[in-house]
Amino acid sequence: MINLRERGAFHIFFSGLFKRKRYSKYQQTNQNVYSEKLSSIDHFPLYPDLSMNIQVLQQMFHHAPDLVIRHFEFAGKGTKAVLVYVDGLTDKNSISNNVLSALMQSSFDPKKGLPTTVGDVEDVHSWISIEHALFAGDSALFIQGETKAFLLDTKGWPQRAIDDPKLETSLKGAHQGFVETGSQNVAMLRRYIPNRELIIKELTVGVRGKSKVFIVYLGDVASEEVLQELEDRIKQIQMDVIINTGELSELIEDNPYSPFPQFILTERPDAAASQILQGRFAVIVDRSPSVLIAPVTVMSFLQSIDDYSTRWLAASLIRLLRFFAFMITLFLPSTYVAIISYNYEVIPLKLFLSIAESRVVVPFPPIIEALLMEVTIEMMREAGVRLPAPIGQTVGIVGGIVIGQAAVQAGIVSNIMVIIVSATAIGSFIIPSYDMGTAIRMLRFPMMLLAVMFGSTGIMIGAMTLIAHLISLESLGTPYASPLAPFRFADMKDSFIRFPLWKMITRPKSVRTIQSNRQGKPKR
Amino acid sequence: MKKYTHNEITILQYIFLIVGTQMGVGFLSLPRVVAEKGGTDGWMGIIIGWILSVASSIIMVKTAKKFPNDTLYDLLIRFFGKILGKVAIFIILGYTLSFSLIIFINTFLYIKAWFLPNTPDYLIVMLFSIPVLFIVRNGLRVIGRYNELIFYMTMWLPVVLLFPLKDGSFLNLLPLFKVGWKSISATLPPVIYSFLGFELVFFFYPFLKKKQYAIHGIIIANTLSMFFYLFVTISCFVFFSPDSITDFNQPVLSMLKVIEFPFIERLDVVILNILILFSSRSWILYMYCTVFSFSQLMNKQDHSLYVPVLLGLLVIGTFFVQPTWMQVTTWQKWASNAGIAVAYVFPVFLWIYSWGYEKFSRRRFS
Repeated sequence: MINLRERGAFHIFFSGLFKRKRYSKYQQTNQNVYSEKLSSIDHFPLYPDLSMNIQVLQQMFHHAPDLVIRHFEFAGKGTKAVLVYVDGLTDKNSISNNVLSALMQSSFDPKKGLPTTVGDVEDVHSWISIEHALFAGDSALFIQGETKAFLLDTKGWPQRAIDDPKLETSLKGAHQGFVETGSQNVAMLRRYIPNRELIIKELTVGVRGKSKVFIVYLGDVASEEVLQELEDRIKQIQMDVIINTGELSELIEDNPYSPFPQFILTERPDAAASQILQGRFAVIVDRSPSVLIAPVTVMSFLQSIDDYSTRWLAASLIRLLRFFAFMITLFLPSTYVAIISYNYEVIPLKLFLSIAESRVVVPFPPIIEALLMEVTIEMMREAGVRLPAPIGQTVGIVGGIVIGQAAVQAGIVSNIMVIIVSATAIGSFIIPSYDMGTAIRMLRFPMMLLAVMFGSTGIMIGAMTLIAHLISLESLGTPYASPLAPFRFADMKDSFIRFPLWKMITRPKSVRTIQSNRQGKPKR
Repeated sequence: MKKYTHNEITILQYIFLIVGTQMGVGFLSLPRVVAEKGGTDGWMGIIIGWILSVASSIIMVKTAKKFPNDTLYDLLIRFFGKILGKVAIFIILGYTLSFSLIIFINTFLYIKAWFLPNTPDYLIVMLFSIPVLFIVRNGLRVIGRYNELIFYMTMWLPVVLLFPLKDGSFLNLLPLFKVGWKSISATLPPVIYSFLGFELVFFFYPFLKKKQYAIHGIIIANTLSMFFYLFVTISCFVFFSPDSITDFNQPVLSMLKVIEFPFIERLDVVILNILILFSSRSWILYMYCTVFSFSQLMNKQDHSLYVPVLLGLLVIGTFFVQPTWMQVTTWQKWASNAGIAVAYVFPVFLWIYSWGYEKFSRRRFS
């Protein structure tokens, strides 16, 4: 049994915390000023007199033109009341039909409750909760003579329609992607796992902009220890606001100095649901369309949800291809440099001659040639990413001409180098995870430097260092290189080769699930 | 009281740790060394060496079993008292350190001779220290995972040795027992040297999760190494003629030179690079044991501080002293003798002592 509170995990975790500590001083002062202001508001009670309440409101929300304060009277006795909401965060239909029209046509009786047709109604007694609710899209109702306010659920902020995920295109899976509203994302997961064991834990992160964070997992499957660790880390975050899930993932990962991503960020609900079913945790951050999956292993980054709906033989072949592409991207340019500058005796004579023939006009040493081309292709890729589609194509065409033809004809690079650079680029596109692709794209540069300094020995040492790093890396305290080291035969069924689904009866051991069998039955 | 619960290793990791320590770079020249003493009957020496090492390992595990949560340090302090125990641990520390250095320098010399003849020594040592630093400072569990992974990654190595066998002749091995038992037993010292590594079981034992399989594990590990050595030696004997094998310094490499694929012309160059991976297990483990004993001598729980210090000293050392093949061969001879003392004499002594110690202390307490 691997213990979470092991010294190694602690060490890495605290070195991770170190980065946060440096900023925490700045945040501390910020937080103090803000919380002082908050507490001064909280000193005011909720008055029975309407006009006093309005005064406090106006003091709280100065310079807020989108705050609507609507005075009206109930029918019957004519009780005065005020409805307050933020324009733009609320649903206008709901306010006029379900709230205003309903209230104005009936009389108010404190014993009976509100005569409204809104679903969720809540009584509050503090100004802070009113503030939070208003910004979350609720409307607040103040009634003459009451020392409390009613919060009515009228949420309706501008949001995107659910459409195809942009970064992870789906071949055979669902074409729904996560959106920017946390509650909708939770609902999408619920659609896939309609089970009462699907547990949704709500936390709040951020001092200024309280982002809702939901941890979604299977209560009777996922490991208690890992959940505790995940919750602890999220609770320790001290930030003004979390804008995107990527920020959250950097703040809670085990080793922030590692080049490798330690969590999966996905925008596909089917992928997230599949991971939850394997016993992992999904962390949904409100306002962000990507969902964090933890804990993961290095193998998870080479898997795609489409693998499970493709025939298993084809899926296995594609898995192997990905692994091969991983190796190609990482080692091909450096191997080329090492072979050309040091170990040319390794390759057959004829191949060596054809390489020499194409290199004879090139005026640079191999490493300069390689760096030149690799940097060019990285620049082109980065240029293409952020350009609108029509211009992006132009970049592709220009790049194709520069890389494919002109550079070779001008004698700056050799044909072989062009092949190697293109193979590397295509290899990095095959990796399903963008983060992992970026990591290995970055790592091939130090590998090239090692190759030019020490030849094939340098590559070997580089590979050893990577292995050493991968096996000591952990994701939420679980081993990152899991099915390989520590070796777990059962987990190998879903790694290089995807076994047929009926053979994969156990959940991954690296996640340390309570219930190891996938069908929810004990193992025979 | 269990001190090492956070660093437990599985039985497979335990096996691979021992296998990893036993296999360094020695197997490259083993067929030649064995053939010099015992001719083509030399491979029988390997089997005798295996029997001896298994016997000694069993004695070690039996001793360690009596105090299952003691590391070698705790054990020696318990047996011999504070001062004598510390002296003993200091000697063990010197032993593991010198072994680690010898294997390290041996690998380094191969790499220097084959690939980087013009690169300064200290630069190569510095390069080698990077992964070592990453692994050794992490404790036995990560080292266990490393050994496990390298074992699986290098499992195909013996298969490659099958390729040249189609040109060999099995008649080279016959007749059996042509040199007599005396010559066969003369091969023992080098063979015993190749089996060294199992003595570190004293360091691994307290970390082992399922202690009831400790004896099975160590026998499996020794047998795996034995099969590997036997396979390498016999395939060299089959490939080379009985008279010419002693002419090659590293017959295994010379044999690999013959192999040629349509896409790789010189497989020996590739294999020699993989050798870094292969032998790194051995020197990393000895280095870990050194640093671990040192931190215990210093009464510190955390050994990771001493790793960069040791590696830094190594880099500075090679800046001033450039080791050569001749020196390493001499050191190896001394180390081999020390190894016989530590791995064969010391365990037997410790076992008898522990037996007496138990009797004595039981009488005292009752």
